[in-house]
Amino acid sequence: MINMNLDKIDTTILEILKNDARTSFREIARKLKVSPDTIINRFERLKKQEIIIDSTVVIDPKKIGYSFIARFGIKVKPAYSTQVLEKVISIPSVIVASKIVGNFDLISISVIKNFNHLYKLRDTILDMPYVEKIEIGMWIETMKLYPQYFLI
Amino acid sequence: MSVIKLDTIDEKIIRMLQVDARTSFKKIADQCNRSADIIKNRYNKMKKNGIIRRSTIVIDPKKMGLGNLVMMGIRIDQHYSDSILNTIKKIPGILVVTRSIGQYDLEAIFLLENIEKIGTAKEIIADLPEVRNVDVNIFVDKPLLCPKNFEFE
Repeated sequence: MINMNLDKIDTTILEILKNDARTSFREIARKLKVSPDTIINRFERLKKQEIIIDSTVVIDPKKIGYSFIARFGIKVKPAYSTQVLEKVISIPSVIVASKIVGNFDLISISVIKNFNHLYKLRDTILDMPYVEKIEIGMWIETMKLYPQYFLI
Repeated sequence: MSVIKLDTIDEKIIRMLQVDARTSFKKIADQCNRSADIIKNRYNKMKKNGIIRRSTIVIDPKKMGLGNLVMMGIRIDQHYSDSILNTIKKIPGILVVTRSIGQYDLEAIFLLENIEKIGTAKEIIADLPEVRNVDVNIFVDKPLLCPKNFEFE
């Protein structure tokens, strides 16, 4: 079920910007045969509705000295997950983090240089107040089937 | 793969675009005391040599009515074949699948519309003969991005 409040213009804007967030509004307007102002208004609305959460550049970690990706599952003292999430998301080398329901309370996906870096990162998170436990998965041979929906 | 060294201008470009991918080259140029053309060339060079894979927007899949992100952690028997990966790769909604060392042997991230679809995906995996256990974790709230994804050397 696709969100019914979005029309063809909105979905086209999302589709184009997902592939290249720097596409000019003029170019999108030309494709849709509407004015650039319409595109600007729609873009602002999509941001205000938090359908577009963020925009960013995706970097190839291997090209700048990182060797693998690690997934951290973090157990947190009940009711403190927001507080810990805010701290986790500010650590450089964490790419994406979220609250999660299941075996953990938080998940964070990070780029890792080497084992020493991995342990340091784990200790940094373990040292945070209210963090109870961390489980680690080191990713190898990762297949990114639809990277446009997940930022790694 | 050889590591490409970035200078302070490259780093500044990446940092500003990580926070807002639509930041104008002019604005970045002003911060670096360089011309917008130099910034544009640097950006294109980093795209060409693959440091910057792409620029993109992050969409909240729930608000789009696409459902929830789900992470499944899979434990398997010692001997397993690539056929498991091939089966998982074909489950509708799959975004990422990876071998993993540590807590699980395989991890997969899905975008699934509703709880029934989550159940179906889990059952397909759990039914595979080599699979011992599947843990399901559902992302709640929107996923957040770190404004400084990378530490530079």
